[in-house]
Amino acid sequence: MKRGGFILVLGLVAAAAAYGCVYLACTSSARSFQRSEKPELAWLKVEFNLSDAEFKRVSELHAAYLPKCREMCTQIDVQNSKLQKLLAAATDVSPEIERELAESSRLRTECQTMMLRHFFQVSQTMPPEQGRRYLSWVKEKTFLPDYGMPKE
Amino acid sequence: MLKEWRTDATLPPRFHEGVWRRIEWAQAPVAPSVWAVIAQWIGTVLPRPALAASYVAVLVAIGVTVGWAQAHQETARVKDELSQRYVRVLDPYLAPRQ
Repeated sequence: MKRGGFILVLGLVAAAAAYGCVYLACTSSARSFQRSEKPELAWLKVEFNLSDAEFKRVSELHAAYLPKCREMCTQIDVQNSKLQKLLAAATDVSPEIERELAESSRLRTECQTMMLRHFFQVSQTMPPEQGRRYLSWVKEKTFLPDYGMPKE
Repeated sequence: MLKEWRTDATLPPRFHEGVWRRIEWAQAPVAPSVWAVIAQWIGTVLPRPALAASYVAVLVAIGVTVGWAQAHQETARVKDELSQRYVRVLDPYLAPRQ
């Protein structure tokens, strides 16, 4: 009984150890992403097989793009709140509302142009095949037909 | 006194049959409990080298498979989360507001 009990426990301990080792080994990349300063860029580097030089250039482009993106966010927020105020008091589509809607559209176009320009710059930094894959992926994520529409 | 003792009381119906049934029950072997069977198996069968090795190998294989499947799931979740985060950071219409 003693020997049988030992084998029983040994099997369970070995199973737990095997589970832990495999789990830790296979999630090491995910953990290293999360530990890095910019996890989303760390993911990009691995996902698109970027060399250190390519990654450095992509990171520079990313850092240069972010202030422009923040500026655009501020403009969008201001424009949205303007439109919301007008719509709250409106009973019909006034010329002012039309003007603000047109301005919202212009902002969206400007924003999408800026993003697309950035995506092209980033894709050109990557090896051609990875660049094509990146562009196809990022366009699908940001320029879908139902872009901005809530999911049911 | 026993020789002189007489009684008119009648036996209940199927008395003899009932007595024999109780005797059979009393003589029937007691079925061992599940725990006793398991303990017996662990004590006598599991220590056989071939079975012990198979048992440990099967449990290790289960541990490896479950660990790999869960790690795969977790890695996919983290990658998906980071890809969405990358898009959210770049898209002013999706960017988190402070």
